Amino acid sequence: MTKPSIFLPKQAQIINVRQNSESEKHFTLRFADGKKIHFEPGQILEVSLFGFGEIPIGIASSPTRQHSFDIVVRGIGRVSKAINKLNKGDSLYIRGPYGNGFKLDKIRNHPVLIVAGGLGVCPTRSLIQYILDRRSEFKHFTLFYGACHPSQQLFRDDLSDWRKNNDIELLEIVDRPDCDWQGYVGVITDLFDKTQVDKDTRVIVCGPPIMFKFVIQKLDQLGIAHENIFVDLERRMKCAIGKCGHCQINHKYVCTDGPVFSVKDLEDLPEAF
Amino acid sequence: MGFYCISSKNFPAFIDELIHQQSVIAPQLVQSKPYNPSSSEFFSFSLLKKASNLRLDYDTTILPPKKVFFPPQQVLLSFKNGEFQAVLDLYETILFGVHPYDLLAIEQTDFLFSDKYEDIHYTAQRQLTTIIGSNIQRSAEHSFFSSMNANVKPSTHDGFITKIADTYIYEVLTGKAGNLLKYGQFTDASQQQIDLAVKENERVKSKSHLNYSADEIKQGLEKSYADLELWEQLAKSCYACGSCNTSCPTCYCFNIEDKWHIDQISGERTRYWDSCMTEDFAKISLGPGKSGEAQTENFRPTTGARMRHRLMRKMVYLNDKLGTQACVGCGRCATSCTADIADPVNIINTVMEKYHD
Repeated sequence: MTKPSIFLPKQAQIINVRQNSESEKHFTLRFADGKKIHFEPGQILEVSLFGFGEIPIGIASSPTRQHSFDIVVRGIGRVSKAINKLNKGDSLYIRGPYGNGFKLDKIRNHPVLIVAGGLGVCPTRSLIQYILDRRSEFKHFTLFYGACHPSQQLFRDDLSDWRKNNDIELLEIVDRPDCDWQGYVGVITDLFDKTQVDKDTRVIVCGPPIMFKFVIQKLDQLGIAHENIFVDLERRMKCAIGKCGHCQINHKYVCTDGPVFSVKDLEDLPEAF
Repeated sequence: MGFYCISSKNFPAFIDELIHQQSVIAPQLVQSKPYNPSSSEFFSFSLLKKASNLRLDYDTTILPPKKVFFPPQQVLLSFKNGEFQAVLDLYETILFGVHPYDLLAIEQTDFLFSDKYEDIHYTAQRQLTTIIGSNIQRSAEHSFFSSMNANVKPSTHDGFITKIADTYIYEVLTGKAGNLLKYGQFTDASQQQIDLAVKENERVKSKSHLNYSADEIKQGLEKSYADLELWEQLAKSCYACGSCNTSCPTCYCFNIEDKWHIDQISGERTRYWDSCMTEDFAKISLGPGKSGEAQTENFRPTTGARMRHRLMRKMVYLNDKLGTQACVGCGRCATSCTADIADPVNIINTVMEKYHD
């Protein structure tokens, strides 16, 4: 008997939908068969809606919170716009998890800095929750979060919790403030001047491709070794099983070799960013 | 297992009996090529209806035989009203008359579709296929297979047929190929005939040649990587049509898309051959910009960057994984290229002139 198709997804029920910002929706999901999903923070899913298609999305919740799992979808294409019309009780179809995650074994017992720009806060939220849930396994924990505009900040409820939480040092910045904005204004790299970053820190960077170069320049100035900086790369992964070729950067596939790479690993991958 | 022979006179009856027993996919003449005086014919692997249509004297085919297991479009799943299932449209078939370079390519795609995650949409059809190779009776215009994979002998096929004078020597490598013996008037081949068949296969040479070894090419291309200007020059008149990918026996990139049926409640998730030479292949969306305009990032935005990627993929990136180069020297990319720039022999020899130590 042949094996099942690797392209067969599992049905998941939407148990909660939140409008995260104007174009982003935050879905909380549970598999229809009641089974739990086993994953590492940083891994990706192929999320689909039949008749529209499949898109790769990082898991936005921690495996320490097993009752459900979260994704955030920005409605910009055919599939994502169709998904964002769904309501509580509707179904999504999930393959995965795929890829390698945030290398927990390399960041445990070290100070951790997460640099999240824009939608980059979604996959990193998985790690943020993980660290907060297992706080004693990590040293000082800092989160830099940059958004274009205060209205584009995601996870508002989380942010208001994190601002009050002594387990996490949160620094927020926006490009363009509104009149209520109390935080920093500028680009995300400005935040490096607002706090101390220990040389032993393990850094996770996730955001638009343009951000990587500038953040890594700052980290170089701080003397943080490239093997201790991890970036979460985004590509148009159509299969997520290392075959379709869309996510290939030089000889690596982002879906199976990544999406998380150390900057050291990327030194011989000039197509990375 | 072993070597058998069948006379040219009895060969058509054998083929007709195979057709009677199973579907047979084999090289056939599809069209004359009047605009290309150097080669007057087009061949294709397609369903064989009668032995007289079989053309084992073909030079090469327009598309490689990978289409039998990895068709240009293939339904993966079907869906209706929230129900969905995998689709496997399987059939037993004999793929007959495959040249050695294509056998090597099939061996590569066999591995790549099974590596880490087994893709049954490929492997299930592959298992139902009996592959009979055949000797190259004449080499295609742009072929350079003699320069490729010199130390690799194909081993994925079931049997191999070699024409020597008025006799066909049939080498049986698996039980699947052995099962076909009963359909023809075969006798045991003599040692002399076997030796002649070996010599016949050794005799055939491609029309084009690379001037460098696999290792030299790997090193040279790696060195040329930073010289994007050279690659842009080589790809200057590329239309980004993707014909080189489409006609390549070792290209296996694909796209997946959903389509509704006309009833609007059912449909299919289908994969299509895709091409890394096309402009959008490595493009992602970054969402709307400040004034709402679509922002994108293209990781290989130019034809030069894409041609470099294609050549690196064939000659460098997969070498460790496959134990050989991911190009078999069939020359189809050169033949199919609308701008007449894709010939790997020209590209590699040009790059190597500059980057060979």
